[in-house]
Amino acid sequence: MSPMASEALVLGIETSCDETGIGIVRGSTLLADAVASSVAEHARYGGVVPEVASRAHLQAMVPTVHRACEQAGVQLSDVDAIAVTAGPGLAGALLVGVAAAKAYALALDKPLYGVNHLSAHVSVDLLENGPLEEACVALLVSGGHSSILRVPRVGGLELTELGATLDDAAGEAFDKVARLLGLGFPGGPLIDRAARDGDPASIAFPRGLSGASDPAFAFSFSGLKTAVARWVEARQRAGEPVPVNDVAASFQEAVVDVLTIKAVRAAREQGVDHLLLGGGVAANSRLRELAAERCAREGIRLRVPRPGLCTDNGAMVAALGAQLVQHGAPPSALDIPADSSMPIADVLM
Amino acid sequence: MIELATPADTHAFGRGLGELLRAGDLLVLTGPLGAGKTALTQGIGAGLGVRGPVVSPTFVIARVHRGGRLPLVHVDAYRLGSLDEVDDLDLDIEVTDSVTVVEWGAGLVDRLSESRLEVSISRREDTEVRQVLLKPVGGDWAERLAAL
Repeated sequence: MSPMASEALVLGIETSCDETGIGIVRGSTLLADAVASSVAEHARYGGVVPEVASRAHLQAMVPTVHRACEQAGVQLSDVDAIAVTAGPGLAGALLVGVAAAKAYALALDKPLYGVNHLSAHVSVDLLENGPLEEACVALLVSGGHSSILRVPRVGGLELTELGATLDDAAGEAFDKVARLLGLGFPGGPLIDRAARDGDPASIAFPRGLSGASDPAFAFSFSGLKTAVARWVEARQRAGEPVPVNDVAASFQEAVVDVLTIKAVRAAREQGVDHLLLGGGVAANSRLRELAAERCAREGIRLRVPRPGLCTDNGAMVAALGAQLVQHGAPPSALDIPADSSMPIADVLM
Repeated sequence: MIELATPADTHAFGRGLGELLRAGDLLVLTGPLGAGKTALTQGIGAGLGVRGPVVSPTFVIARVHRGGRLPLVHVDAYRLGSLDEVDDLDLDIEVTDSVTVVEWGAGLVDRLSESRLEVSISRREDTEVRQVLLKPVGGDWAERLAAL
């Protein structure tokens, strides 16, 4: 499609975890963002159960696609392409989305784009903050990933990982600490809420890999998780009450402190003017606040989507798909697999 | 009972364990949050010589690491009903050709019947010290561990 042609209308399908997300995007304009979540069904297990998620995706798929079409005021036959998360994520959950996307592509005779979930998290920014015609650094933080990326063009086929977590993902640390504190699942929003009534300076939890000789852009949250567990256990042994809000606030501060320091440092070292936040943990209010503060101090422009677009959704997949269509990327074959461990640098399958 | 004073010791112990593993081996790791199950698995990965970072498998349930003497399948079984569900994950690998390390919630191990090495890790109160207990079940684990 030439740049002069009208902007691509793309249907995006996301099923990598527990949200069945269907988005419809024209160019970089969001037309519909329909999400059916099975999170309530997983809460009692303390985490997403693969079989439950897959079945929920299957049930939600067609109704959610219809809901998205109604929201956008388009017919399925109007779309120019189908984009779908091909990986990474839960194998069985991904498979439902990929199978549905292939069926729609075949039935409607439209090209299929099997895209990377992580790149989609980065690309959703375009829907909120408009096109970005220069390179940026992205901090991608979610339940399964924590990475700092150099992104030459948002929605492009290239990105470079500057660093990533060596053990647990940031969102995973939130889930595990929430479980430890008896707050429930998913941990991110629950810790965020508890932390508002706590003192973030009350407990000095360790900042992983922040020494001078540590890798500049790598993260480690496993030691922090252990430190919180030990602190809580010591309290319980002493027969003292655990100040849940203070622990939540101090833990959260330790996570977002390291994330923002390293992300801002990466932006500065890479010589870019923009830092972009993406992924479910980017919905955390303290991360957004501290990132804004530190970017302002360094003269870096912060781009962060509203919380509803940070968590998993189909709009981000459609946003990336529309960029790929408009830049003439080759569509995926109709026999692409779902790849639960799709490498972060592979934007399109 | 083996005592490991530092994370580096945990890694080195895992490496030694990794070096004596064979295709089809199953290791079951139990221990509380932050005991060092993933750290130990990173050592095992190093002992097998597999590629890539051995990071927490919690999000995707299981990760396959290749490029070493044997592939390493690293499973977080916390949310699985049984080990049979590992097959349902469509990992595109045969457990008989690889080493499987399962991080398991305590109490569920009894359901497993095959030959396995049970590794329980605990944290000693208020120290960095980890205590490791190895329990060989079936097979020739006992003889092999003597070399460790």
